[in-house]
Amino acid sequence: MDNNADPAPPAAPAGRPESELRALLDAAVDAVIVIDHAGRISTFNRAAERLFGYRAAEIVGQQVNVLMPEPYRSAHDGYVQSYIRTGEARIIGIGREVVAQRRDGTEFPASLSVGEVSGSQPPRFIGFIHDITSRKAGIDALRRERDRAQSYLDLAQVMLLALDLTGRIAMINRKGCEIVGYTETELLGRDWIEWCVPEARRDAARAGLQSFIAGTSAQPDDAEATVLTRDGASKLIAWHATLVRDELGNIVGTLSSGEDVTERRRAEQALVHSESLLRSAQAIAKLGNYEVYVPTGPAFWSQEMYRILGLNPKQGPVPIDVFTADVVHPDDRDRLARELQRAFNESGRLDLEFRIVRPDGTSREVHSRAQFQPSADGESTVITGTLHDITDRKLAEAEVRQGQERLTHVGRLATMGEMATGLAHEINQPLTAIATYAQAAVRMIDSPGGTETTELREPLVQITNQALRAGEVIRRLRAFVKNRATRTETVDLNRLIEDLRVLAEPDTRVNDVRLSIDLTPELPAVSADPVQIQQVLLNLIRNAIDATLEAPAAPREILVQSTGVADGVEVAVVDRAGGIAPEIAANLFNPFYTTKAAGTGLGLAISRSIIRAHRGKLGHRPTPGGGTTFYFTLPPLPGA
Amino acid sequence: MKEKPATVFVVDDDDAVRTSLRLLLKSVGLPVETFASAQEFLDGFDAERAGCLVLDIRMPGMSGLELQQRLNEIHAIVPIVFITGHGDVPMAVEAMQHGAVDFIQKPFRDQDLIDRINQALEKDRDNRAGLKERDAIRRRMQQLTPREREVLDLVTQGKANKVIAGDLNVSQRTVEIHRARVMEKMGASSLAHLVRMVIEAGRAS
Repeated sequence: MDNNADPAPPAAPAGRPESELRALLDAAVDAVIVIDHAGRISTFNRAAERLFGYRAAEIVGQQVNVLMPEPYRSAHDGYVQSYIRTGEARIIGIGREVVAQRRDGTEFPASLSVGEVSGSQPPRFIGFIHDITSRKAGIDALRRERDRAQSYLDLAQVMLLALDLTGRIAMINRKGCEIVGYTETELLGRDWIEWCVPEARRDAARAGLQSFIAGTSAQPDDAEATVLTRDGASKLIAWHATLVRDELGNIVGTLSSGEDVTERRRAEQALVHSESLLRSAQAIAKLGNYEVYVPTGPAFWSQEMYRILGLNPKQGPVPIDVFTADVVHPDDRDRLARELQRAFNESGRLDLEFRIVRPDGTSREVHSRAQFQPSADGESTVITGTLHDITDRKLAEAEVRQGQERLTHVGRLATMGEMATGLAHEINQPLTAIATYAQAAVRMIDSPGGTETTELREPLVQITNQALRAGEVIRRLRAFVKNRATRTETVDLNRLIEDLRVLAEPDTRVNDVRLSIDLTPELPAVSADPVQIQQVLLNLIRNAIDATLEAPAAPREILVQSTGVADGVEVAVVDRAGGIAPEIAANLFNPFYTTKAAGTGLGLAISRSIIRAHRGKLGHRPTPGGGTTFYFTLPPLPGA
Repeated sequence: MKEKPATVFVVDDDDAVRTSLRLLLKSVGLPVETFASAQEFLDGFDAERAGCLVLDIRMPGMSGLELQQRLNEIHAIVPIVFITGHGDVPMAVEAMQHGAVDFIQKPFRDQDLIDRINQALEKDRDNRAGLKERDAIRRRMQQLTPREREVLDLVTQGKANKVIAGDLNVSQRTVEIHRARVMEKMGASSLAHLVRMVIEAGRAS
């Protein structure tokens, strides 16, 4: 800083009267200061006095840098010297913003333009200073406003994209950058379509943009369009676009907001897909579902509900009281009403099979399960449930049941066939006795000496007894082989076994096998179809006979036993024959598996299905000391 | 004769059949004894008693066939009429092969049964008569000298006196003398008669 030069008296401008110049300076709005080459102030106008708070009288002759705060103050002398020496202007003729300092030390922003006073030697400089405090504040406010707007843009969870008329990116917000995977810098000025639209769609997109700008279409593009990201992925964007115009109303570009709807669309599609799956599943399963608010409130029925009930979906769900009164089969209405009442009042659940009648008069078997819960507002009850059309299942079940019964009957006939020899014998015995008694009686009558009628009494009584005996065998046989529906009753197994003796014994007798029966008294009663249980027992006895015949050295004994066991009553058929080989045991219950020359292979399979239908089990174990014991258990009557 | 009259022995496990048979046979004047099992019959069996057996082919315990087998084992000659069921033809055939007189299927006409029983009783009489005849022949044969026995064997083989003389290394005249003695001791009226007696004696039991 060269501050040692003496202040020179300000030179009067040439060619102008001093007073005119003075008036000019004082009238100027801007502060005007003239300094000499040493930086001394020679002129300080009114505006300068107002601006800096100095009086001209006290400031003239002082260094101009008192009007500057540090560090400008120290740097100033160097500027002037440097200019004088090199002629290189830092500020002269250029003008700049500077910070100035008032007399009271406060600072303010100012614009400064400096000119060299021509013709003066040594050189003098004139400066025009304008307080730009208010302008600066405005600019700052604008900048803040812009920053805030930018942050709004950046905060927005939608992509904001401004394009110029050629499709170049004029602005893109942070979300936009995020979506396409580029930085703002990378994108600004780039052709949006070139960069971010999939190649296949670029022509269409460009045409769309052009027609939008030309005002011939509402949107520059499809409302939803795919965007290509930096890593090559596709994103689905929902666009809204508007045209941008300048102050004169000329279109200068477009502004679009775009929302990344990739996930939402995917979720929507998944939802649509899953709803369609659900619909198909319901149709396939013939299972409808419903949600009904009772007494009032919304009701929802799935499509399948209408299909099952034969109703028109357009008419909407039928209210529950109408449903009970009109849709349900008349015979089942009371039952359903009772169950509904119970669900409302106590159980909170419905699990009921009933029939419904379609408008065309056909009836269907349905199974409904539902939960009853108070609604969120406590005003009503929400019934959420399913309605399952089980007609086909019921029919199938009935067919299976009939098939099972037919098979069971066939099995009985087969067993009977195997027992035929013994049974024929059993009937032949009383017939033989009858014929013989009758012929003896005739001979007695015809004898030369004649016969007392009292002597005929005995043969006649015997004839009666034997006829009844044969009749009893036939009656049991008929009862056994008759084709009949399953009929369950309370059965005393001990009595059943005793009754069976008439059918079983002939078979053992003709095969020279001893049948003994060992019953545990006072066994609990069971619920069973007696004929089917007899069938099982006869089948097991037949098998035991066959096993015994195949083992000539084995004791020719079969024991039928009844015992109480933990899970009910067990009936066992014990033989003393050769036992069962493991490879046979594995196939024992397989239908059509037989080791007998004339066997059907159905006996055990049918027996097991009978016992299973009675909720019992059929099995076998070795007889201690050799042979096999086949047994079945039946559960006791509930409460027995 | 000290012998009891020929008896019909009925063995059947069925009370009614057994009792009705007893009544029927008694009504035609046949002595009847009934047994509920084969074992019961066997326990009281007396081979000397004349008669026949009416036997149920199927019985628990010892069956009719098994009883027949036991009787054959002890060379009992009692004729057997089997009573069979409808399905028992194979068993009946087996019984016939083992010497049963006949079989009859239940139920039967009384006359058919009675005919078979009479047939069986007749056979028993024949058997017993044959048995006596055989005993007599054997006794007579035991009276022959060893040389006479040799001549008997060769004569009944159909050899001429000349051949026999050669075989025994004696004269033909000597053979003729032995032969005449044999005919006399055996009470044979002709060579054919002699041969029949030898065959009869050679029979088992």
